[in-house]
Amino acid sequence: MPRFDDYTGENLIPPYRILDLTDRRAAFCARLLADYGADVVKVEPPGGDPSRRLGPYPADSPNTERSLDFMFYNTNKLSITLDLDSESGRALFRRLAADADVIIESYDRHYLYDRGIGFDALRADNPGLIMASVTPFGCTGEWADYRGDDLVVMAASGYMQITGEPDEPPVRQGNEHSHYPAAQYAAVGILAALYHRDFGDGTGQHIDVSSQEALITYYTDAHPALLWRKLGQNVTRVGTNSTLVIPLGAYPCKDGWIAAGVITPREWDSLAEWIHEVTGNDEVLSETYRGGNQDRAEHIDIITALFLEFAENFTVQELFHEGQRRNLVFLPVNEVADLLADPQLAESGFWYDIEHDDPAVGTVKYPLGIFHSEEVQARRHPAPILGADNAAVYQGELGLTADELAALKAGGVI
Amino acid sequence: MTTAPVDSQAACFAALTGIRVVEFGPYVALPLTGRILGSLGAEVIKVETNKVLDEMAFIPAWSRGAGQPEYQRGKRRITLDVRTDAGRDLMLEMARISDVFMTNFRRNVLDRWGIDFPEIRRQRPDAIIMWQTGLGGHGPYYTYKSFGILVQHLSGVSLMTGLPDEPPGVVNTSYSDYHTGVFQPAGIIAALMRRNLTGKTATLESSIFKSGVATCGPALLDYQVNGRGPQRRGNRDAWAAPHGVYPCAGEDRYIAISIVDDEQWTKFRQAMDDPAWAAAPEYETRIGRQRNHDALDAAISDWTRPQDSAQLMNTLQAAGVPAGIVSQGQDLHDSAHLQSRNFYQDTQYWEAERDVKATEWTEGESVSWSIPARMSGTPIAFGKYSNIGEDNAYVFGDLLGLTNEEIAELEAAGVIY
Repeated sequence: MPRFDDYTGENLIPPYRILDLTDRRAAFCARLLADYGADVVKVEPPGGDPSRRLGPYPADSPNTERSLDFMFYNTNKLSITLDLDSESGRALFRRLAADADVIIESYDRHYLYDRGIGFDALRADNPGLIMASVTPFGCTGEWADYRGDDLVVMAASGYMQITGEPDEPPVRQGNEHSHYPAAQYAAVGILAALYHRDFGDGTGQHIDVSSQEALITYYTDAHPALLWRKLGQNVTRVGTNSTLVIPLGAYPCKDGWIAAGVITPREWDSLAEWIHEVTGNDEVLSETYRGGNQDRAEHIDIITALFLEFAENFTVQELFHEGQRRNLVFLPVNEVADLLADPQLAESGFWYDIEHDDPAVGTVKYPLGIFHSEEVQARRHPAPILGADNAAVYQGELGLTADELAALKAGGVI
Repeated sequence: MTTAPVDSQAACFAALTGIRVVEFGPYVALPLTGRILGSLGAEVIKVETNKVLDEMAFIPAWSRGAGQPEYQRGKRRITLDVRTDAGRDLMLEMARISDVFMTNFRRNVLDRWGIDFPEIRRQRPDAIIMWQTGLGGHGPYYTYKSFGILVQHLSGVSLMTGLPDEPPGVVNTSYSDYHTGVFQPAGIIAALMRRNLTGKTATLESSIFKSGVATCGPALLDYQVNGRGPQRRGNRDAWAAPHGVYPCAGEDRYIAISIVDDEQWTKFRQAMDDPAWAAAPEYETRIGRQRNHDALDAAISDWTRPQDSAQLMNTLQAAGVPAGIVSQGQDLHDSAHLQSRNFYQDTQYWEAERDVKATEWTEGESVSWSIPARMSGTPIAFGKYSNIGEDNAYVFGDLLGLTNEEIAELEAAGVIY
């Protein structure tokens, strides 16, 4: 069992030391662990993590300390700089790894091995070490050396095949969605490995997460491999409005879009009655449309038309709350501005403010992740400035002198 | 398709050996959490409550259940009517012998059944409780209903997807259910560590809504700092050009290509055998390629259109160009890459029939993925797919110590069914 002198359970995750060598493909994994209490040190090349040079920036003015992308993915982490291409940099890294609980990395599978700091080499000095590698296609298999970013992984997983309009090409989901599934699975694997090490047999291990595989599991409703095996069919795009649940989709109303879905016969009766109240149209009450989705499937066009005629009389918020009062799954189609103002998120303790010293950024709300609890707190520190913790780590932990640190800086190692 | 087991290291013990979890709730997210915990070695007991079956027992509709192993394998499945006093008492007994209690019922529903978290804590003072709802367990929407596919609208993602003159862009699946299903095991394992180290327990509340918004990305900050809503750019990206999908030979076939810098652009030109159009000065820099992206897309499409997408992917990747086919079901099912990683595995399933006892359902053959975190030191169990109620004797008899006569009485009374 590990000894943490100061850990009293204020945070959900004990302060395990995690070295974060990830780019955006897996930065969310280390952030998730850091937000809930892990002691995460981001190990950046001396020029900084590449995402520091990605926008957006405040006022669109590029500045490596002001990338909003970097800020989002790196809350609650420390930052040190280290050049893994130099021998002295690698020597320092081995010392850091010898005392670390976990390393998370998203380099190509040869990068660390070629530098003599692959999992096997590091484990020789630290049998309890856990390392998670997040790569586009995994560390084994014939695509293991293939390159992939968000777009390519979204394509190769098939996720894009069912995203967008049926008569248009596949489209990317706009939140760079492929960065999340692998990061989440890596976090689960890391925590399970820590649990096993500290409350099981004491040894560490390597965890191989493929972004492609992780994203495949995120659309299991559609299950393309199963559909192919059983029926010889390929899944495809159906657009905003589903053809399986009727009606289901997003529909324009007075001031935006309302998302609505009707599944049970009771829900349809409730909706039909409401449409009738509003439009006076008797047709919607017809027995023809009553029952389950199969009963309405052949009438999808007329039902959609009836729904559109009804919805245009209301605002999004009117439809949302009155719909729910009538036991219907009506939900607003939100923009970011709506989310920031949403009373449910506010009351769920979801947002927390971070005051940035930089006035160009100011005070900004961040999402706290999904766990709300009276018994544990999440941490609330902004993403680090580049190398902010060099002195604390290299002098405070590794015992380097100020002169040695200065020499490493002068040599471009940190 | 291979049937080689992922749990080839079954001799060593799994990461969550010794942990027992009660899973109480239907649909996608919570059962997925249970499946993941089970695959990591926890003993997961799925309690199915009323005589109304989880609609998910029938998915996909055309197969009546071939998709169910994805959510239910590796669990002990018992039947229990918690609307009865005896059923509620047995549920509390289950909580007493378990480390984790997790449910996705709304507060008003749990109240109706007389299941409350303080009572679970009295039964088991160190229980970890995971309480998942659609929109939130407290707050103004706590009674509201939702389901996963619509949460991509609610959480702001659909208005980031597609183009501004199009309807909100949607992926045809239960979007945020999967986020929630994979967030939750992380929270549970962390809470178990914390319990072991401090003796303290935790009730964690999660929601599908929050899971969706938590993954909106830097757009959340861009709006606050720059007052700018998310840009709907289709497949374009401010940091790469060309960046998009291009048509290939065959029906609905595409390849995605993403060129982030001039070095990759040079490699791409070489892979295309350096056509004259690609040497145009406006394409020399990324900014130039951004400005002329429409013309660039048209020229690239002319080159890709007659080609086989899979061969083209191999050619481009060999040249160092990030590219990937837009995979269809057949590509995934037959993928040599995924097969070499044992990603898909054969499994059995139970073909669900309404008004027919689950014990009389027919067994069929299906395919299921394995948990996409390969652990070198602990097995990932692929897990048996029990039918509903199949493990009643084990749980009520072996674990709770009821005699065969007592179980028979409960069955006769409709408490276990």
